[in-house]
Parts: sequence; C-alpha cells; structure tokens
Amino acid sequence: MRAAHYLNQFFAGVGGEEVADTPPHAHEGAIGPGRLLESLLGDGSGIATTLVCGDAFFNERADDAHAAVEAWLREAHPDLVVAGPAFAAGRYGVACAHVCRIAEELGFPAVTGFHPENPGRLTYPRAYAVPAGRTAAGMKDALGLIAVLGSKLAAGGELGPAEREGYLPRGIRRPGYREKPGAERAVDMLVAKLRGEPFVTEIPIDAYDAVPPAAPIADPATATIGLVTSGAIVPKGNPDRFKRASETRWSTYELDGREALSSDEFECVHGGFFNLIACENPNFVLPLDAVRALEQEGAIGRVLDFYCATSGNDQRLADCARNGREIASALVEAGANAALLVAT
Amino acid sequence: MGPESQSQIKAVADRFGADNLVVVLGAADAEALEVAGETVTTGDPAFVGPLAGVSLGLPVVHILEPEVKQQVDPEVYSEQVGLLELTLDTEVVHEAMRKLRGE
Repeated sequence: MRAAHYLNQFFAGVGGEEVADTPPHAHEGAIGPGRLLESLLGDGSGIATTLVCGDAFFNERADDAHAAVEAWLREAHPDLVVAGPAFAAGRYGVACAHVCRIAEELGFPAVTGFHPENPGRLTYPRAYAVPAGRTAAGMKDALGLIAVLGSKLAAGGELGPAEREGYLPRGIRRPGYREKPGAERAVDMLVAKLRGEPFVTEIPIDAYDAVPPAAPIADPATATIGLVTSGAIVPKGNPDRFKRASETRWSTYELDGREALSSDEFECVHGGFFNLIACENPNFVLPLDAVRALEQEGAIGRVLDFYCATSGNDQRLADCARNGREIASALVEAGANAALLVAT
Repeated sequence: MGPESQSQIKAVADRFGADNLVVVLGAADAEALEVAGETVTTGDPAFVGPLAGVSLGLPVVHILEPEVKQQVDPEVYSEQVGLLELTLDTEVVHEAMRKLRGE
C-alpha cells in the first residue's frame, strides 16, 4: 500500500509558530511521525510522499493550500491519505479536515486523528478520524488506530458504524435492524443502571460543567430584572430567522412597555416540543404577564424593556456558553442585577 | 519540546551519561509536562526531534516539588520561582508529575 501523509510545519520538523507561514511543499518518503506510521502499517506498505504546509498558510491562503493538496494527490495517486493526527490543535485540525475532504472528492480514502473537541470535526464532519489525546503525547496510540482504520479503508471494504470500528462519530444515521426494539433496549439500560452495572448509551450527551449559581438577590423589590428565554419566543415572522434546532445565535427584542405577549405579535419557533400552545399564548414560555403583575405589586423593582432569546433546542454546549456570556454582558450593560431564565 | 532543546539534552546525556543527570521541569500545565517528561524518558512522542525513538530514561522532577525546593537557596527560589508558586495551581503540577513517574 502506498500512503501519502500530510503534516504541518511543527510535526515536519520545520519549526514552530515563527514558520507557520511555510508554503506547501512535498517530500519523498516519510518524515517525523510518518516514520512511526510506516512501521505500524507493516510490511509491503510505505509512505510514498509527505506534503508539509504551515498552519497559518493553510488557513490564511486556503485557496492556494487546497490547490496544492489537490495537485499533490493527483500526482501521487496514493492508496491511502493520512493527515496528522492533529490532536487538539485547531488550525492543524482544520487543515487535516480539508485534506481528507479533498482526498475523498478525488476518490482516495483518507483518515486523520482528532481530539473530540478539535474544530476540524466541524470543518468536514464526514472525515474518518480516530480519537486522539490533546497533545502529541498520544501520538503512538493515535497512529496505531490510524494504521488499522487506514488499512481497512485502503482495502476498500465496507466500514461498520463508528462505535464498532473505533472512529469518531460522523453524524451519519443509517436505517437498520437491532436485535431488540428501542423500548426493550431502554429498559435493559435502565435496569443495568439501577444495578450499578455498565451499559452503553445510544445517545451520547456532552458532560455538563457544574455552573455555580449566582448569589441570591438581596432585595428583589429594588432589583432590575432582565428576561431571557431559550424557548425561541420571537416577534411574529421570526425576523432573525432562528432555526428550530441547533441555533448558534441569540437576539434581543423590544417589549415596548407591553403588559403581556400577544399571539398576534409573537410566536414560538422552538422545534424541541409541541409549540402550538406556546404560539397561542407566548406568556407560557416567556411569562411577561406574571412578571408585570409582580412588578405592579412591588415584589420586584422593574423589568428591562427588552428580552433576550435563542432557540435552545439541541444547541451545542460551546454555543450555549458563549450565548450565555454575551447575554449576561448585555443585561449588565442595560443595568440589570438579575435575570429570569424560564425553563422550557 | 522543540528539536533544538532535544538536541541539547541529547548532547548533555551523551557527554555526562544518563545515570548522572536529573531533568528539572518548569512547565506550568499538565499537557506540556506530559510531553516534556515523555521526551526525556521514553523519547519524543511527536517523532519530530533528535530524541524520536531515543529512550534516555532520565529521572524527572519539577521545580515546584518540595524535594527540589529544599535544595535551592531560599532567596534565589523566592526571586526566580516565588511568583509562579503563588499564582499556579500546584496540585495540577503534582498530579501530572505523579502520573509521569507512574506513581
């Protein structure tokens, strides 16, 4: 098997950030970690060529870099393309993802290695990537996995699902049959969990950070409250075109002294629950009517005359954290000392 | 660890012998310690520098470990390391070093 290997300037031994603008150039044979990969690929296999490119060059002059990768692959015509592994390195990860994409578009099987949080996974989610540690300390393990997966890809065999073959999930669902229906599998998992036995979830969820709650408000009667909803209550017509799921943004909308939200003016575009009832009465999700009543009673000081909204359905944790920080800054800037975030 | 530093460490080890050397690390985060520690013991894990595939097996300690601190003139330690010691999460360093030494 003839493999082609892509490396950044660091792993090719050219140098660090000071030479990250190194233009793409090909070497014959293996360099750096490629030598270890070559030994792992076994007899009869070798790295025919290595393309080296600085991370800054690849990301800042993307068109030139992509053209160089394409030309390199067309000339080498390899049985397998290996990029990286890139561990948790962001720009290197993006470069490796593009190399995999270009290789596959040209019909060459490709494999890389990423830490699960590497942004390269978003660049080209369909890339076959083995899980790697955060740093080069995990090089040997990652290259071992790459050698196994790469050999299978090069042999042209059909790969099984990620959980069985050991690559990072690519977000692809295929219809198929399981031995038991979903209800039975769910009960099996529950029973295992209650017995303290190991089980494997079918829907992995990112581990949540523990967020320490803010201190209670000393005197709600003098507090200024900002209203926040992840329940996607938006002015009718959805002016910011919020998505029903996987939204990345948030926005503010004026309340203009309204006493309550009317279904003539507001609607719910959240896709994670049956939202007809929230469309008929948006106050169920963003309780302006109840908050105004508390304001009039004097139980709370006052309410900011705008609210912050996003569509929280299936929002990535990284976007949630950023949106939360940005919303908090906007509320503080407007003079709020407390926020009301109603669960949906 | 860059190829230049690896080259210098290799030269010192060749000259004095690995049995006569101890590596004192100063990195402040667990990942940098893991890479540096592995480089001078089992070899450059990234396979980039002169220590790729070279297992020097050097003993590794950290400047923030009490055994190392005791051997340094307190005035010099305070001047050179004092601020680092105050501001750093030293438990992260100790944990990384224990892991590195397989303790």
